[in-house]
Amino acid sequence: MKKLYSLSLLLLMAALAFGQPPKKKTPQAYNSRATNAPGGNFLDKQWWLGLKAGVNLSDVSVEKRYSALSPGNYPASQTDKAYDNFNAIGSQVTLEVSFYYKGFSFSLQPAYRHSLFTYSNNYEWSDPENASNRLELTYDNEQKVDHAEIPLIFKYDIIGNRLRPYVQVGVYYGFLINANKSVEVSGIDYASGGTNKFINDPVIIGAKDLFAQNHWGLLGGIGANYNLGNVRLNLDIQYRKGMSLINSTENRFGSDRLSGIGEAMDDIKLNNLAFSFGCLFPMRYLASGFKTLDQR
Amino acid sequence: MIKQLFSVLLAGFLLVTSCVEETNPEFDQKSFTKIYDNNLFTTNYFPIDMVQTPDGGYLILGGRRLAESNFTGIYLMKADKDGNFVKEIEVDDSYVNPIAQLAFINDTYNFFCMDPLTLQVQRVQTDANLEGVNISAVGGDLYYPCASRVDGNNYVLLTYDHLTKQSVIAVVTASGAVSQSKAFTIGAGDKVEEPIINHFIRTGRQYPFEAGRIPGGLYYFNGFYNYTFSLVFTDLNQNDPRGVVQGIQDDGGFSALLPLSITKFAGARFNFGDNYLLPNVILNPTGTSSSVDLGGNTLPELEPNAKVKIIRATINTKNVLVYGSNTRSKQIGLYFYDEATGTFLTSKYLGFSNPFEIAQVITTEDGGLAVCGTTYIAGRFPRICLIKIDASDLTGIQ
Repeated sequence: MKKLYSLSLLLLMAALAFGQPPKKKTPQAYNSRATNAPGGNFLDKQWWLGLKAGVNLSDVSVEKRYSALSPGNYPASQTDKAYDNFNAIGSQVTLEVSFYYKGFSFSLQPAYRHSLFTYSNNYEWSDPENASNRLELTYDNEQKVDHAEIPLIFKYDIIGNRLRPYVQVGVYYGFLINANKSVEVSGIDYASGGTNKFINDPVIIGAKDLFAQNHWGLLGGIGANYNLGNVRLNLDIQYRKGMSLINSTENRFGSDRLSGIGEAMDDIKLNNLAFSFGCLFPMRYLASGFKTLDQR
Repeated sequence: MIKQLFSVLLAGFLLVTSCVEETNPEFDQKSFTKIYDNNLFTTNYFPIDMVQTPDGGYLILGGRRLAESNFTGIYLMKADKDGNFVKEIEVDDSYVNPIAQLAFINDTYNFFCMDPLTLQVQRVQTDANLEGVNISAVGGDLYYPCASRVDGNNYVLLTYDHLTKQSVIAVVTASGAVSQSKAFTIGAGDKVEEPIINHFIRTGRQYPFEAGRIPGGLYYFNGFYNYTFSLVFTDLNQNDPRGVVQGIQDDGGFSALLPLSITKFAGARFNFGDNYLLPNVILNPTGTSSSVDLGGNTLPELEPNAKVKIIRATINTKNVLVYGSNTRSKQIGLYFYDEATGTFLTSKYLGFSNPFEIAQVITTEDGGLAVCGTTYIAGRFPRICLIKIDASDLTGIQ
């Protein structure tokens, strides 16, 4: 992941340094019908290529709850997982290819997304006849999931100026790359002669089989481009609503290490709030005097 | 152009969204791991046997620790087809020491237990939903039930008679009457009896008592005979056994046995802690031999004198023998052998993180396996667990 960030930064710096060198060719060389004069149609459309990176926060929608523990003398709801939404920071790197036409953009944004979400379970065993016979356990679970995603996005520039805010909607399709799961068991044992607080070393396992190979969702968001010379600086905020399960329904109990401690994944959809910052470069070159600010 | 682009996008969208995960109840039944928890610190349930009920659920016969008795109480539990807990019954403390087999006869589920005061064998009947439990005494003077197995509409029952110090094998009809029985001495002296009593009050080793019948042939029991834990064949007519496969006092003998034909058996034996699996062994039911001479596949990974369960199964259209046992690493090990040749096919290990111990393995109506056992939540609380395995997960069996 660090390598990806470094690569992104290098690409961004290189683009700022060398992007849009002066050209001797006129715009007519690329589009004989276009004219850069006011009222011409060359600036009505443009291809943009860029790179974005940022952080994301995830939350989980539970479709159906599961547990390897099936209680006999207390409600099954006590085994429900307590999800901690939007509290673990993930990251993403996105390559953006957009076609702009008169304020509307059609954008393909393949991305590598690293998502995190956490949840916990609490259990207690006690003895009504002996208060010291008591054990409290907390299972803290952290899931790390890496997806390659291909979103198709429609954008609309609300106003056109040096700062160009936009709104966007789209659909994305994700492919599972990797997944890991960490379970840390902590607790208080009152039966060992005192108040024995303990934290066990976490169980960390590869959990790729526990996740769906593919998933899809819808996205919407806002953002803004800031025209700086011939390039655009981009700030993008997307909320991604998972529309299919990200867990594997068939391999739910596929890990003995997890089911052995009572852990089984719920049927869940993953939602994601992503903040990205990046830089976009025009692909259709103009005269040396061209500025992205001229874009209509 | 726009219409064509829209059509392509729509088609692509429908294609990719058709390949995603959806909640699927079928998967919930195909494979799962369930641990039946109880939040009482001192609760101690352990499974003994299990059957699958016609609704796809599971009926589990278990034991439970009693505060007022050295014997174990009776615990019954029903789980649904997804393995979720449905109902449990703690049978009255006046009946103790339940034994396998939990058998389906005359539309009821039956097993044997005993009265802790008279020590006489009782028969328990219940239904698939545990809506009622009926207990009645078995006719004749039968004490201390050790093991039973269904033979047609009858039970072959092994008991221990503490008054005469004899192992008693009996045929019990579906109505609970003893139609045939024969008793065989365990040997004279209290020292011979001591491990048997310790078995019943669970303060000592749990012996792999078994009883049954070779298909259409002799009856057999795996129990104490003439100072030795032996496999004894009898026709229930002659006073002496027709054949004996001797052990070495209680340090050697069979730990499990499944007759495949008149002389061919699938077995497992123990010998001073070592374990040997014999998926294709020829025994002479009308002669005397020693289990020590039988050899077998040694499995050092198994715990000393490991509990072994053997069943026949058809998995992926292949007839196999499934051996289930407990490993030193506190997992349940399943070992698969070709029934025809005894060739090893594959193995599968169940459980991790917490200890797991096997109680029973059965075939399920969908062609998979279900394993019932004990796990220790947080490494300390013994709880019944049920692990369902789909046949497709048993790679190596073609």
